[in-house]
Amino acid sequence: MNPFFFHPAILFFAALPVVPWLKGVWRSAFVIAVPLVAFTIVIGLEPGMHGVIDVHGLQLVFGRVDKLALVFANVFTLMAVIGAIYGLHVKEPWQQVASMGYVGSALGCVFAGDFLTLFLFWEGLMVFSTALVFLRRTEQSTKAGYRYFLVHVSGGLLLLGGIFLHFHQTGSIAFTAFDPDHAGLAQYLILAGFLLNAAVPPLHAWLPDAYGSATVVGSVFMCAYTTKTAVYALIRCFPGFEILIVLGVVMALYGVVYAVLENDARRLLSYHIISQVGYMVTGVGIGTALSLNGACAHAYAHILYKALLFMGVGGVLQVTGRSRFSELGGLWKYMPYTLFFTLIGGLSISAFPLFSGFVSKSMVISGAWEDHLQWAALGLTLASAGTFLHTGLKVPYFIWFWRDKPSFEPPKKDAPLNMLIAMGIAAYYCVLIGVNPGGLYRLLPFDATYHPYSSYHVMESMQILLFTMLGFFLLIKKLYPEPKVGLDLDWFYRRGAGYFLAFCFHVLKMLDEQVIKNLHRNLALPLLRGFARVANWNDQRVVDGVVDNSAAAVLRLGDHMRVFMQPGILSRYIARTLTVLAGIALLALYLR
Amino acid sequence: MIVRFISLLRQHYGLVQKGFCVLLGLLVLGDLFVPRHHIHFLGDEIPGFWSLFGFLACAIIIIGSKWLGHAWLFRPEDYYDRQGKK
Repeated sequence: MNPFFFHPAILFFAALPVVPWLKGVWRSAFVIAVPLVAFTIVIGLEPGMHGVIDVHGLQLVFGRVDKLALVFANVFTLMAVIGAIYGLHVKEPWQQVASMGYVGSALGCVFAGDFLTLFLFWEGLMVFSTALVFLRRTEQSTKAGYRYFLVHVSGGLLLLGGIFLHFHQTGSIAFTAFDPDHAGLAQYLILAGFLLNAAVPPLHAWLPDAYGSATVVGSVFMCAYTTKTAVYALIRCFPGFEILIVLGVVMALYGVVYAVLENDARRLLSYHIISQVGYMVTGVGIGTALSLNGACAHAYAHILYKALLFMGVGGVLQVTGRSRFSELGGLWKYMPYTLFFTLIGGLSISAFPLFSGFVSKSMVISGAWEDHLQWAALGLTLASAGTFLHTGLKVPYFIWFWRDKPSFEPPKKDAPLNMLIAMGIAAYYCVLIGVNPGGLYRLLPFDATYHPYSSYHVMESMQILLFTMLGFFLLIKKLYPEPKVGLDLDWFYRRGAGYFLAFCFHVLKMLDEQVIKNLHRNLALPLLRGFARVANWNDQRVVDGVVDNSAAAVLRLGDHMRVFMQPGILSRYIARTLTVLAGIALLALYLR
Repeated sequence: MIVRFISLLRQHYGLVQKGFCVLLGLLVLGDLFVPRHHIHFLGDEIPGFWSLFGFLACAIIIIGSKWLGHAWLFRPEDYYDRQGKK
């Protein structure tokens, strides 16, 4: 075991304040060097427990290194390198600062060994990613940023509440697996916090809202870290929770349905994140070694190909200023390289043989088959047809083909060189993983062997994919983009909140002014006055009468006593004195 | 290079279409001869099942989702913006 441990997140957080001071080529070199060094460090890490700090009897663990943490740290740092290259053209430093903090927080979560450390970095993820939404600096993105922030604050509170309850019940804050048979409110609150970040319906609507509004570079980063950190946390804590199988399959299909309706390319890709994370959540729910490995492998592959897709679409947005299908089309002559790389991303996410999705997605589906969950396996296969339909076909077709010429002044150049290089690296990894899955499989934490390239499996996938393609071209008229938005559950806080305010403003206010005020004036006030009158009468007549009369009675009694006791006649005094003395003498005799 | 390749494909659109159809046919034919090791459910035993599955899946997803959209979910693009300016 290597006794020396350097937490890779420290590197990112230490680099944060330096970035704004650097200029030009120095800054470019610096923002690439930091994740590159971190990537090298992660490759060299050995399993073990590091950075254990004792705070008032609580053990905080900053550096739990095991194979599960390493596979995620590996892809997180690799993605940080690619994202840094993709963002080189940005002149202002703040997006680079925010994305560094974001990556550092994600690494902090991955290496956290207890819930409090996890929570600390979990909130870091939220803060830095919100910055990436705000930095787009449009009115629309500012609003989306606030919504994103508020939703994630609620999610963080769910998580924190769960952590406190869990600590109260068990006295432990260790970030380890829960037993599905003994899970109570505390565990389910933690689960809800994780599910919100994993964008599991009904807690998902923040994702397309924010990722469709963030900066071009920002959404490339965001699509990689928030949901996958949540998947990591789910694998860590909730393997074998069967509710996750249902939720996973539902979300895989949910994303597909909404992707049909979506007109904005980045929002479409966002819905496909939901769909793809569905595979991982299902894998966690099944909980066998194969399916958990599948969830890890799919997260690894997904980060790369989804980032590639966001980079391609982001490149189009950067060059043309447009991301709606209804405005795009006909770009193949003008942005061919972006098209090429986006196609590789599309083929990877669609799980074409020889591309990365093929070797990872099929692990989860095989896990479902082998666990005899036929409905889950069929649901996921259905969703994978939908994935190809949208990301593999709809995105490239409606951006680069469809029209013979763009409906606007065609761009003079393809995307900037740094963007193309970043896309190239991601595309290289997508193909590498697809062609040589052994490299990825070696990283996987659980003990299960899997061979994706059986002739039947290849045949099955090709049939599904190519016949989906046939369907796409036969039904293409139905798919023509419509400039509309699909209602989703963000309605409740975007529109619903407005209605709630209107309800308060009109109905509650009217109730207050009309009904309650009148009730007060006509019923409550007279009643109160009547009661006061009764009390007044009671006070004056009854209470005062009693007091006055008793005072008068005491005076009268005193007068009688004075007249009786002090008559001023000597003989009566003597007689009374003798009577009393005789009485005392008799009493004394009697008592003796 | 990519542009030239795509122009070539576009020039011979009919040929590409035919080639694609032949490929689909070959896939179904080939499915007759592929060895099956892990039979998980009925569909695995029927040759060409996954072709049908893929095609139907695509049709169901497109038609079903669009129906859902037109029947209920679709709103104008400025749906959320309009409210704020009321």
